Amino acid sequence: MQKLLFAGVVWLLSCGGLLAQSTATRVSGTVRTDNGEPLPGANVVIKNQTKGATTDAEGLFSLEARTGDELIISAIGYQSTQVKIGAKNTLEIFLKESASQLNEVVVVGYGTQDRKNLVGSITQVNADEIKNRPVASFDQQLQGRAAGVQVAANTGVPGDGIFFRIRGTTSINASNDPLYVVDGVFVNNQSLQKITTQGQANNPLADINPADIESISILKDAEATAIYGARAANGVVLITTKRGAYNSKTKVSLNASIGQAWAPKLWDLVTGPEHATIINEAWTNDGKSPATRPFRPVSEGGRGLPEDQPTYDRLNDIFRTGALQNYDLAVSGGTKQTRFYIGGGYTSQQATLRTNDFSRASFKLNLDQDITDKIRIGTSNILSQSNRTNARVGDGPQGGILQAALHTPTYLPKFNTDGTYAKWAGFDNLDVLINNTDMHSTSTRYIGNIYGEYDITSGLKLRSSWSIDYNDYNEYEYWNTLTNRGSASKGLATSSVSKNTIWINEQTLSYRKSVGIQHNFGALAGNTLQGNVSTQTLAQGTNFPSDAFKQIASASVTTSSSNRNQYNLVSFFGRIDYNFSKKYFLEASLRADASSKFAEGHRWGYFPSAGVAWQLKQENFLRDVNVVSDLKIRASVGWTGNQNGIGNYASRGLWGGGNNYLDNPGTVPVQLANPELKWETTRQTNVGLNIGLLNNRIGLEINAYSKYTYDLSLQVPLAQSSGFSSIYRNDGEISNRGLEFGINTQNINKPNFQWTTSFNIAANVNRIEKLSIPVDASYAAERMAQGQAFHSFYVYRQLYVDPKTGDAVYDDVNKDGKITVADRQFYGSALPKFFGGLNNTFAYKGFDLSVFFNFSYGSKVFNNNRFFHESGGTRDDRRAINKNQLKRWQKEGDITDVPRVTTIGNNYNLSPTSRFVEDGSFLRLNSLVFGYTIPKAVLRKVGISSARVYYNGSNLWLLSNYQGPDPEVNVTADPTTQGYDLGTPPQPRTAQFGLNLTL
Amino acid sequence: MKKIVNILLSTLLLTGCQQFLTVQPDLQVDQSQAITNASTAEAAVNGLYNRLGSDGYYGSNFQALAYLSGGDVQWTGSQGAPQEITARKLTADNGYVGSAWNAIYRTILQANYLLEAVPTITDPQLTATRKNQILGEAYAIRALSYFDLIRGWGGVQLILKATRTPADNTNIPRSSVDESYAQVLKDLTTAEPLLIETTNRNKITRKTVWAIRARYHLYRQEWEQAETYASKLIDDAANYKLAKPYSAFFANNAAATPESVFEIAYTNSFKNGHYNWWLPPALSGRREWAPNAALVVLLNDPNVGGNRKDLIAQTSPPGNLWYGKLYYRIPLGTDPAYVIRIAELYLIRAEARAQLGKPAAALTDLNAVRDRAGVPASQAATKDALLLAIETERQVEFPFEADRWFNLIRTGRAAAVLGITDATKYVLPIPNSEILADKALTQNQGY
Repeated sequence: MQKLLFAGVVWLLSCGGLLAQSTATRVSGTVRTDNGEPLPGANVVIKNQTKGATTDAEGLFSLEARTGDELIISAIGYQSTQVKIGAKNTLEIFLKESASQLNEVVVVGYGTQDRKNLVGSITQVNADEIKNRPVASFDQQLQGRAAGVQVAANTGVPGDGIFFRIRGTTSINASNDPLYVVDGVFVNNQSLQKITTQGQANNPLADINPADIESISILKDAEATAIYGARAANGVVLITTKRGAYNSKTKVSLNASIGQAWAPKLWDLVTGPEHATIINEAWTNDGKSPATRPFRPVSEGGRGLPEDQPTYDRLNDIFRTGALQNYDLAVSGGTKQTRFYIGGGYTSQQATLRTNDFSRASFKLNLDQDITDKIRIGTSNILSQSNRTNARVGDGPQGGILQAALHTPTYLPKFNTDGTYAKWAGFDNLDVLINNTDMHSTSTRYIGNIYGEYDITSGLKLRSSWSIDYNDYNEYEYWNTLTNRGSASKGLATSSVSKNTIWINEQTLSYRKSVGIQHNFGALAGNTLQGNVSTQTLAQGTNFPSDAFKQIASASVTTSSSNRNQYNLVSFFGRIDYNFSKKYFLEASLRADASSKFAEGHRWGYFPSAGVAWQLKQENFLRDVNVVSDLKIRASVGWTGNQNGIGNYASRGLWGGGNNYLDNPGTVPVQLANPELKWETTRQTNVGLNIGLLNNRIGLEINAYSKYTYDLSLQVPLAQSSGFSSIYRNDGEISNRGLEFGINTQNINKPNFQWTTSFNIAANVNRIEKLSIPVDASYAAERMAQGQAFHSFYVYRQLYVDPKTGDAVYDDVNKDGKITVADRQFYGSALPKFFGGLNNTFAYKGFDLSVFFNFSYGSKVFNNNRFFHESGGTRDDRRAINKNQLKRWQKEGDITDVPRVTTIGNNYNLSPTSRFVEDGSFLRLNSLVFGYTIPKAVLRKVGISSARVYYNGSNLWLLSNYQGPDPEVNVTADPTTQGYDLGTPPQPRTAQFGLNLTL
Repeated sequence: MKKIVNILLSTLLLTGCQQFLTVQPDLQVDQSQAITNASTAEAAVNGLYNRLGSDGYYGSNFQALAYLSGGDVQWTGSQGAPQEITARKLTADNGYVGSAWNAIYRTILQANYLLEAVPTITDPQLTATRKNQILGEAYAIRALSYFDLIRGWGGVQLILKATRTPADNTNIPRSSVDESYAQVLKDLTTAEPLLIETTNRNKITRKTVWAIRARYHLYRQEWEQAETYASKLIDDAANYKLAKPYSAFFANNAAATPESVFEIAYTNSFKNGHYNWWLPPALSGRREWAPNAALVVLLNDPNVGGNRKDLIAQTSPPGNLWYGKLYYRIPLGTDPAYVIRIAELYLIRAEARAQLGKPAAALTDLNAVRDRAGVPASQAATKDALLLAIETERQVEFPFEADRWFNLIRTGRAAAVLGITDATKYVLPIPNSEILADKALTQNQGY
């Protein structure tokens, strides 16, 4: 307050000089931030003149000016101000920080950086902005929030796998996930799940409570990521958890919410009579005798006339309104030497699809202690337990709870004539599954580190840390005698315990020094040792005394196995940065990594990067252009690597056991050696532009990048006559080129009303530049081939349905008059052409509203549910039929794309066809939050410092042409397949009410 | 102190680093340690049978290709691959075709490894007799593998050396059908003297080779040799006889009965997938395919199927769906896979004798099989009548084994019986992925 007064006085004094005579005098002064710190590098120019000066390290400036001249004082990240020169020629000027993100401290690899000094391309997201969506993990919450980061959930089941790509897909067989670093710990994000849920896998990042996260920093270009070398090709996500503040009062904050989740849209299936009509029609179309049509009177040996068929709605039985609840309690604070943060959280989320539940209890402790003014120690800890009740959801009929509901023909009864449970077409009886599915898992996770820091001299700091990521994934399934899996074997149980441990030892030495105000240096050097050990023990039992016995100890037939594997990494890294007067920036880094996955001679990889930036606002010609408050051009180039997802022993020729005969142990060759195998390498160039306008009320960031990945570590198909199906080889190249655009605006900023908008959009063009042999994805409707984008569908293209015959006409690519494999063609990709998000926030007095949309355009989805549901009678009583099948061709002249139903010919016997490749574009109202903060005056009486109540809705509206319930879907956790819809539950719609309290 | 630090640092950086980065696999062994002595050789032999019985080969897919193509088994499930086969819309990227091809060549690789490695082993524990037996098994299984490749796909690439690097066994063109069969015969004749003449229904012996030779000569229309080799087993009545009733060779968990010449055995530590495709959901299968209406009629006909009706059963009403129950046992997946049964040797000899102008002897062999199934004796007297009767007998005798399709192709009767006139469809397509991966490999015509 005193300072403000003082500034006011200065201002008044300068105004007072208005009437004075204008003669040139030397004016000097000090520019300070509003908390009194001198501000070096601030620009001081005389309005309408080119003359100006820059403040030095002590914030001092001096220049020739006349009384009555107006000085414009500006600095990046501060609101510029104007001062008229009056009688006084020594000035003291205070600049307010602008409210933009520019002053943010951004977490970068092995350090932090002021946003205004960034050279690399980094998006930092504050956890507060994204916490609204009730999903299990922070990665899903990032959807639509950062330009160039594509996030899609595979299923609507909380805690299931997420498709997460930063600037495209760079690899075929190695991982495409970014490196996740939590408080300096490299954490595992590969699922440890061993008991199949039919294609899906748990997301290990769901072990981390999003409420403990302070900020998430997404490193995108090589300048930012190359310091992480061999693991950075897919970008790096740095998660910083909450810490206390020194010298602060202890704060207790509570967040509690409850709500519901439901499925907004399901599938449209035909009625029993409609089903029967289609089957009879296919029968007669096949040229078979109508007298023996399947749906003829029972008295004639048939299944009854079509009109007599009942209809059973199984979908209604399987979807429910799920309950959501979430509680987080945190206590934080600090003294002069100590700061702490203690958090506890519990969340429970029921999926809309029955028997799928997720819950997590978590504990967080962060502590920092200054021992002397030079030595500091501290620790970060996350301990959590995630419990899942699972179900078989995706592909495969056995135990498939959604398939049993979705694919059992609607006319078929639930019970046999004798009253026993009826089971159809390989599916379980749905009632049996709902009441007897018994699959669950517990993930126990500890992520933590301890560190010590020593300030050797001013600016020179040594830091050493030990970190660990320990995950114990414990699964159990029991299938009793009512279920198909357990019926014949009198009960079947599987128990699996998987453990994964990553330990890291790391030393860094960092140095920062400024010479004058012009030369600012930073340097970093470090090394890490990392070990990764995973073990697995699996036991299975069958033949139980009765359904009451569920533990394997009671089974009379048991089998078991165990496994262990390991890899190690050694790394050295360094970085230097330099800027001249905060005008010209230069950074360069180098990392050397060695991995045990490769043979000697190919272990080491070297990953350099360099970046430059130019702050134009600091140049004379922009100094007095008031409308521009920030203008920075950036460029970078660098090389990063990828070894994640490659087998730990991929370079070796191996024989494996377990291939037994007559209960004697047997061995077979399982892998050919390739001692030449090495890292995948990605070269990335990036040019970027940051613009701040109107005192940074408008902030704009544009990036253009080109990533080129070569030496793909690929499982190249071998001729199987060799006895092997593939070999790991460095073969293939992939490019990703893209544009990212982000804008943040403060539209209205009045004391009582604020409105901000943020919008981002990104386009990425992916192309497989070189691949010696096409490789089929795990679902062969997708193929990877040279010249195509990743996740391209490779299908027989249906041109039209002949109005005369009703037969589907396919594109005969090679014009040989036959439809053979040679006629399959590429038909769009599951990757979107562009995607992004739009967020608007409003605050009026105590009320706040945030409306967030995300969108994706140009992706394709293979609707494999329709492949089954529109099978033209070929599947008779084995698969349900959907309403779209009713649009079939029936008589000459019918114009439709659904061919005549028949089991003969190509109409329904050819797969995969373009008929089921659909547009997956969508616009989603991702979340809507409406809150009210209770006035402080009211709260003070009850000793509460702040309280807010809120409503939070997610996925409230979806715009899409997709025929299934939701185009954001994928059948499998396997990374080679994307956009393939089969038996996965749609994204839930949720509504929650909650309370934030701070004491 | 400084010295110690220096030593520590250099140790860590040089030797320590090297050691830290050398991680041995726990689950597998390096290929150099694969076959080095008696026990590792024995393990590799077990691996050979494991490959032969894997799901792609006799463990399911190869046999399925034969019976799904044969016109008596209908597709009743959800998978596209069997749909294509039964609808006769087979394309070159059919997954069943690909997995069978792959599994057979893996079996050949294992045999080639043994043939190369075992002669070089010097281990007193590995006697010369035992070495010969192992080599004989490897030769015989390689012969059976090529025989199955030929009847499926026609002439194939003959891979006779183990693949140790990706450059091995490349640029090998396809051999003709005759050349390929010549290799089969060569391997069988090499195997025969190496093997012990004993009865073992789960492993290859000299007798197994005789049985495979009988089948080989039948396919080659070398009737006299077919008769000779079939007789070698039929005459060994103490060890091989038609089990009565028909179901005696598989029902009630029977295994390795005198009916069997060679069946692959499965236990808890090695299972197959047959049951999964045949059994209905209530019995833990998915009934991906089932006997079609015509076959159900035949099997239930007391004059045709007789007690072979025990091969099929029905689900509960109102479903009443027919399913095959040759593979049914608990623990699931432990049903034997039948490679060659004595019944086939009777029918081989019957056909050979009919061809050789010995109708009465032929009829005796045919009626031995019919008698066991409890159906009236055949009265066929002419060669043509006999051949037709044998064809029908095979249809109901081996409906769920790898026979019907190959048999009709072999006798040139596929057009007449199945109505398939396009002769290019008498062989399977080479998997499309193989054509892409191997420039030396040519696709069969018509695919």
